Amino acid sequence: MTVLGLRLGLLALLLAAWEIAGRMMNPLLGVPPSAVLPSLRDLVLLRSYPDLPASLWLTIREIATAYALAVAAGLGCGFMLGMHRLIGGAWGPMLAALYAVPAVVWYPSLMLFFGLGAASKIAFGFLLGFFPIALAVLAGIRQVNPQLVVVARAYGAGTVTVFRKVMLPAMLFTLVGGLRTGLALCVIGVVVGEILGSKAGMGALINHAYGLLRTGDYVALVLVTLALVVGSDALASQLERRACRWTE
Amino acid sequence: MSDLIVIEGVSKRYVTSSGPVDALRDVSLSVGVGEFCTLLGPSGCGKSTLLGILGGLVPADAGRAVVDGRPVDGPDPRRVATVFQDPGLFPWRTTVENVEFGLELQGVPAQRRRRVATDLLGPLGLRDFAAKYPRELSGGMRQRVAIGRALALDAKILLMDEPFGALDEQTRVLMGEWLLDIWRRTRKTVIFVTHSLHEALFLSTRVAVMTARPGRIKAALDLTMEYPRSMESAEMVALRAKLWSEIREESLRAMR
Repeated sequence: MTVLGLRLGLLALLLAAWEIAGRMMNPLLGVPPSAVLPSLRDLVLLRSYPDLPASLWLTIREIATAYALAVAAGLGCGFMLGMHRLIGGAWGPMLAALYAVPAVVWYPSLMLFFGLGAASKIAFGFLLGFFPIALAVLAGIRQVNPQLVVVARAYGAGTVTVFRKVMLPAMLFTLVGGLRTGLALCVIGVVVGEILGSKAGMGALINHAYGLLRTGDYVALVLVTLALVVGSDALASQLERRACRWTE
Repeated sequence: MSDLIVIEGVSKRYVTSSGPVDALRDVSLSVGVGEFCTLLGPSGCGKSTLLGILGGLVPADAGRAVVDGRPVDGPDPRRVATVFQDPGLFPWRTTVENVEFGLELQGVPAQRRRRVATDLLGPLGLRDFAAKYPRELSGGMRQRVAIGRALALDAKILLMDEPFGALDEQTRVLMGEWLLDIWRRTRKTVIFVTHSLHEALFLSTRVAVMTARPGRIKAALDLTMEYPRSMESAEMVALRAKLWSEIREESLRAMR
């Protein structure tokens, strides 16, 4: 109860500060929450942007595709590098070095390769989501206590059983953490990709509202996108809990 | 007494970055049913390697190991259960879940393996700790869970690789008494690796003294004293002196 109270308190304080600051600013630039509400209503009732459902759906599809690709490639790559000592030793450091490069530098070339449509957004979301997943697999494999593998073998476990009963549970927390971070970064990648240049999707709407100085609509669109991000993370944490139950 | 375990001319060489190391050279040993055989030797004399070969975890370069009439060619948990110095408990499993691990791998139905494991907790002294995780247990308790995991298999042979090596002196003595009690009740054949003279004399029906690397069996002694043994009896003091003179030389060689 106290926690909830403190949270709501902070939220109310921030909104009040925003309201006061918004009223003092140029109305073209600053929008107080009281002015956002009508914009949000117009947005949800499809008055300001009738193509909101299509845009939202496109962005969700781009995120889902990017994430599916990132999970598949991240897990595949991570396990290949982690299970094979030579390959891991040779290529693992290269992977970590690539992760350190600010991914946004690749975006122009992705646009050149994949065009202005959904493909370049998916590619960018994939690029951002792939690294934390692959690196989490690598870190997870390193965390497995080798003695546990010896014990399992002595008790009759073959390769598949060792993987299922020892490796996977031992690395689960790291792995699921990586999958969650990967999802968050996929969302960021897709939305940023749309904002940097696109014809459709939430990012394109945000760009449009922002470009025309329709600040109220802009803030309302950001709020909808925020809801999408928070929703996807809630879904991920649900899966995380499922995974933890499964190991028991 | 028939021989349950036969080791014949076993050798093992490891290749390390600083060149090859002979861990075992031409080791032969036979152990009868129901014996408590201790392998006593200085650190790094290949005792653990020998146990690994018997457990099917380490392939021998030469010679052969026969367990219960069959040459060892891989882990065989239905005949041989192993306890390691590092208990190697699964941290995400509770005490009872760790104990039933081997049965789970053998496909024993959940209810039956849970009953076997639960029945073991009493003699293990872990009845009140069934639902605890390894991190909540003391060192001695953890090792008892590991021993329980081995006993749950109900294999004829128990291989123990310095199981009390990481415990403090008092716990070690108590665990020895406890193990003796378990052994006399279950009549397992035990091969017990240690570098403690006290453990060897207190527990075994047979002591095999190993040489420093490359490991060989230097001498094998049969101990016939009644259990529980008093470490102060004249016979024990004499045996202790004899074993010490055998092992002292090897320990000195190992230190060089």
